[in-house]
Amino acid sequence: MRALPELFDVRIKARSIAYLFGAGAILGLLTLVFPHSDEVNDLALVLLASAAIVVAAVVWASGEHVRDWHIHAVLVSGVLIVSLANYYAGPSTLYPLLYMWASLYAFYFFRPIEAFAHMTVVAVSYAIVLVIQDPDSAIVRWLLAVGTPLLAGLLISSLLRRLSDRAQLLERSEARTRLVLDTAPDAFITLDRDGVILSWNAAADRLFGWSASEAIGKTMRALIVPPEFGERHDERRHALVTSDSPLATQNFEVEFVRRDGSRFPGEATVSKVDIRGEVFVSGFITDVTERLRRDAEREALLREQAARAEAERVADLVGSLQALVDAALAHRTLDDILRELVAQVRGVLDADAATIYLADEEERLSVGASTPGEISGGAEFADTVAEAREAMLSRDDPAIEGGALIGVPLLAEGEVTGVLVACATPPRVFGGEDLTLLRLAAERVGLAIAHARVYEREHKIAETLQRSLLPDHLPTLPGLAVAARYLPAASEAEVGGDWYDVIPMAGGAVGLVMGDVAGKGLAGASMVGRLRSALRAYALEGHDGARVVEQLNRLLWTEAEESQMATMLYVIVDPAANSVHWVNAGHPAPLMLVDGEPGFLEGAGSVPLGVLPFPTYEEVSAPMTPGSTLLLYTDGLVERPGENIDDGMAELAARVREAPEDPDALCDHLLATLVPAGGAMDDVAILTLRNLPVPERFSAEFPAQPESLAPMRAMLRRWLSHAGAGEMEIAEITTACGEAATNAIEHGGARGGTSFQVSGSRNGREVELAVRDQGSWREERPGDHGRGLDLMRTLMDSVAVEPAEEGTLVSLRRRLGGKGGSA
Amino acid sequence: MNDLVQVEIEEREGAEVVVARLTGELDISGAETTGRRITEAVPSSARGVVVDMSDLEFIDSSGVSMLFALARRVGSRRQELRVVAPAGKPVARVLEIVEFERAAPVHEDVHSAVAEIA
Repeated sequence: MRALPELFDVRIKARSIAYLFGAGAILGLLTLVFPHSDEVNDLALVLLASAAIVVAAVVWASGEHVRDWHIHAVLVSGVLIVSLANYYAGPSTLYPLLYMWASLYAFYFFRPIEAFAHMTVVAVSYAIVLVIQDPDSAIVRWLLAVGTPLLAGLLISSLLRRLSDRAQLLERSEARTRLVLDTAPDAFITLDRDGVILSWNAAADRLFGWSASEAIGKTMRALIVPPEFGERHDERRHALVTSDSPLATQNFEVEFVRRDGSRFPGEATVSKVDIRGEVFVSGFITDVTERLRRDAEREALLREQAARAEAERVADLVGSLQALVDAALAHRTLDDILRELVAQVRGVLDADAATIYLADEEERLSVGASTPGEISGGAEFADTVAEAREAMLSRDDPAIEGGALIGVPLLAEGEVTGVLVACATPPRVFGGEDLTLLRLAAERVGLAIAHARVYEREHKIAETLQRSLLPDHLPTLPGLAVAARYLPAASEAEVGGDWYDVIPMAGGAVGLVMGDVAGKGLAGASMVGRLRSALRAYALEGHDGARVVEQLNRLLWTEAEESQMATMLYVIVDPAANSVHWVNAGHPAPLMLVDGEPGFLEGAGSVPLGVLPFPTYEEVSAPMTPGSTLLLYTDGLVERPGENIDDGMAELAARVREAPEDPDALCDHLLATLVPAGGAMDDVAILTLRNLPVPERFSAEFPAQPESLAPMRAMLRRWLSHAGAGEMEIAEITTACGEAATNAIEHGGARGGTSFQVSGSRNGREVELAVRDQGSWREERPGDHGRGLDLMRTLMDSVAVEPAEEGTLVSLRRRLGGKGGSA
Repeated sequence: MNDLVQVEIEEREGAEVVVARLTGELDISGAETTGRRITEAVPSSARGVVVDMSDLEFIDSSGVSMLFALARRVGSRRQELRVVAPAGKPVARVLEIVEFERAAPVHEDVHSAVAEIA
């Protein structure tokens, strides 16, 4: 531990010694003022006092230039001056006192060893003075003179040291505290009980912009408290200092003002400090701008997270609803949409059950779809919602059992098309958020349902149109059996552009058409209509098959508004020649069943219609023996998703092999075995024609109309051909039989007959035909001069007319290979 | 239903000769219509009409009656009727049986028939 002197700088030492000299000189001069002994040398004393004053003045003025040894010298000189004064003034109680002062000074400012040195100087000086003044004085007096200041000095120095130790500790402690407070990040301010600032640390300086010297002594209210909070500040301080508790603390957030007038939010922690009855207020002040900003940021972040979560929830909902709308646009059926919808709604709302009520044209509601579980009171609630035309909740309605209901009207173009209702069992209760979600849902769902309804209507129109374009009944073809089936695709898909036709042609041939227009819906159906009409016109003009198909291609290429395409198969079956001719425009090959063995009619394949401006189509032919069956179809019968079409065709061949021969039964068998239970993906059309085996005898009934003549002749030609008649024989016998049939139609019909029969039989080489009608025979028609009968007689070996009550029977006979052909 | 018989009208020799080409089958269902169409196609200025039945597959008595009636009508207008029916075909056979030659000449081909009128 360093000695005391170091605590004091040399200036203090110099000044204090100057005071000491000054006081001693004044004291010395005062002794001259009061009455005193004449022996005193006044002049000497005045000179000594003056010398002391001069020394004091020099030391004072020297200030910082004074060194320690100067002080020592001055003190020694002071002792000499006192000793000289004592000598000149004579014995006096005053002088020991001056010596003591010197001792005290030495002990106070110097190290002990130096102090003792000075004390020695004092004691020796005093002893010398005493011995000179009274040489006879006792040794005791001498010892007392020396010892007294010595002891007094020791005593006082000991006391001083203790005192100064404490002062030093206190000083250091304060220094440390000040250091801590000055380096503290928070402002620390001490106030007295009236709010006057007593201390102000460095952080307060930084925070408020006022330095400690500027702040101390001013009131806190005037300096850093905003004017509008001044009153509250005083009240709060007053409450704190008058509180009963010795350690009252307050913590509050309040606004503060900086020196530049700007304000900031601060947090103050103030405490009452009671030091032996003296009350202070100390407080820490923190700028919480940053903290508040962070808090606000965190709060914003939390809010944003919550908002995002909410948005995602809504997005999920909208997403699932969007899927429904997409489903509607993808032409799902209304039933499918509703079923999926109620399931979604139940899931999203966490509901027990959901039901959609649909409004009919008279705005009556009925259940359109429902999840399992009944909503009690749902129908009544739906009516209420439909009437209110807005989403609503029904809570704790005594009339409704089983918990809360939520309902929303489904609107399309301002009309209530339905109501969606969901229910939940407490404690699950629907709220405003659910209402919002359901309203959102209803907007889209209303549209989806409207779309689906429009679609279903359009689908129905297209299907009706499509069916109207297919023959409503197939013509009766002699010697041939035909059957057809058309199966629209399962209702998810649009009505397709499949079509078929059967066209009886001159000479007993029949045209078969199977086509598939690429367009769907109304556009596809109308294109089918145009192709069908055009094909019939071209075919009846007598063009060959390839030319007919080429003309159809021209029609599609030049007239279709957008690029439309169609595959088509045009087949001509000539039963008289037992042959089949076909032209294939990109269509699946027809299948022919010969003697129970199916085979595809390959060849003649070319591009679909509408693909190229001038494609080449060729007609290929093959024999078609009696008993064989021809099958035309569209790809819907053989195409299945994920399967090779070749597999589908192989499957078709297998099914045809095992099927019954009758065309109708064959069609039914194919539909039953090849079309999936839920319906085909695409339309399916089938057309079968069987070239019936020619019997030895035949009998056929025809309507009594001129239009029956051509089919009758076709049948007859085929039969005669099979019977072995030559080409001219066939023509002649057919002509004769036609005359008889014409008579039957004209006369039988005139008498109200509705039909006539033709039968034929062969007996060896002789052919016998019979035509029976329900009228009476007439020899002649006006203007024909009996040419009909002439013809019959010329062309046949024998002609017999047998009138009967119920009609007329004409019998015709001719021996084949007998009567010359072309005469 | 569809027409069994089709009629194509063509004017030759500067509209002096009308050629009516028949295809298909001519029976009672189409005879009357066919006769009317041919009559209407022949202007009074024409010198004659040729009914070409080279590609007609069938004719019966009602068709023949129509031809006889046409021959009378044409003749009354001082116009000529000639028919074409190649021998060996069913139509020629029928015309032969009913002796149509008495009403109008029967030619083997259209060219000769048109040439005769011109």
